Amino acid sequence: MNLFSLPNCLALSLTLVLIGSYGVFRRRSLIMVLLSIEVMLNGVNLSMVSFNFFRWGTIESSHYLYMLSIGVAAVEAAVGLSMIIVLFKNYTDITRERISRLNETGAPAGDGI
Amino acid sequence: MLSSLAVVLVRNPVRATLLLILSFLPTSFVYILLQASFVGILQILVYAGAIMMLFTFVIMMINPAPKGGEDPVMGGGPEHGSNKAGALIGLVGLVVAGFLVIPMVWQAASQVSVAAVSKPDFGSLASLSDLLFKDPANNPMTVSFELISFLILVGIIAALNFSRRKAHGGHGGHGGHAAIAVDSITTRPTKALPVLTRAPSPDRK
Repeated sequence: MNLFSLPNCLALSLTLVLIGSYGVFRRRSLIMVLLSIEVMLNGVNLSMVSFNFFRWGTIESSHYLYMLSIGVAAVEAAVGLSMIIVLFKNYTDITRERISRLNETGAPAGDGI
Repeated sequence: MLSSLAVVLVRNPVRATLLLILSFLPTSFVYILLQASFVGILQILVYAGAIMMLFTFVIMMINPAPKGGEDPVMGGGPEHGSNKAGALIGLVGLVVAGFLVIPMVWQAASQVSVAAVSKPDFGSLASLSDLLFKDPANNPMTVSFELISFLILVGIIAALNFSRRKAHGGHGGHGGHAAIAVDSITTRPTKALPVLTRAPSPDRK
């Protein structure tokens, strides 16, 4: 049988999405969460392009959608990383636990005088 | 796929970023196999070249010497005991979900009737640009493609604004911390820049 088929491509993209979601839920650092989001996005793009190849072979709309999504991903990475830099400068800590209690009074050790 | 699994498992963030670049290369080969050669090239150039370089740059900027798993700054993954048990449970859940979902998707996708590519130059750069830019007056893809560039411009302005706002807040709220962050370029007060006043030379019209 042909190894290069639509089910195999979809299984690969689904595996990528699962790996990325595991990273999103398990890693504590925000940078690693962003990297896992990139892995998930990669899987989704792969499924898009493979559907276009195997099913709708008359127009390249998924290639266009791929370009659109990596544009959005670039902007998201830039804004997220700048937010991470600001948070790191303010709190010297970019774990999820620190970010989730932004509004509380308990200042960490490195947070000014 | 193995290297992307290692991306979420490895503790050192720099190593994780390099592994993610490594995992992009087979993905771009798959794209090229899918007759999306321009997408494959774009994957390497834009993703592995630009975005991952941004990640690496930020990681090295905020944490120049990551020390394995003990670094509290990067939150180096599962290092406590309970956290390790949670990681194990999560990994087992991931594997179970994979074994449940992937055969379902595989079966469902096997039922889909495959229509072969019927376009002669499918995926080539010429046909893609035909799709995007032909008849630009009433082609929605042209408009949305130009809107991406506007979105990127907005993203650049937002990122600059974040760093600038931190610079001004550092002077007021966090007194002790501003001394550390003052070496940034953005902390330079704008009004202290020399104002160039040049008298109009007479020989110039």
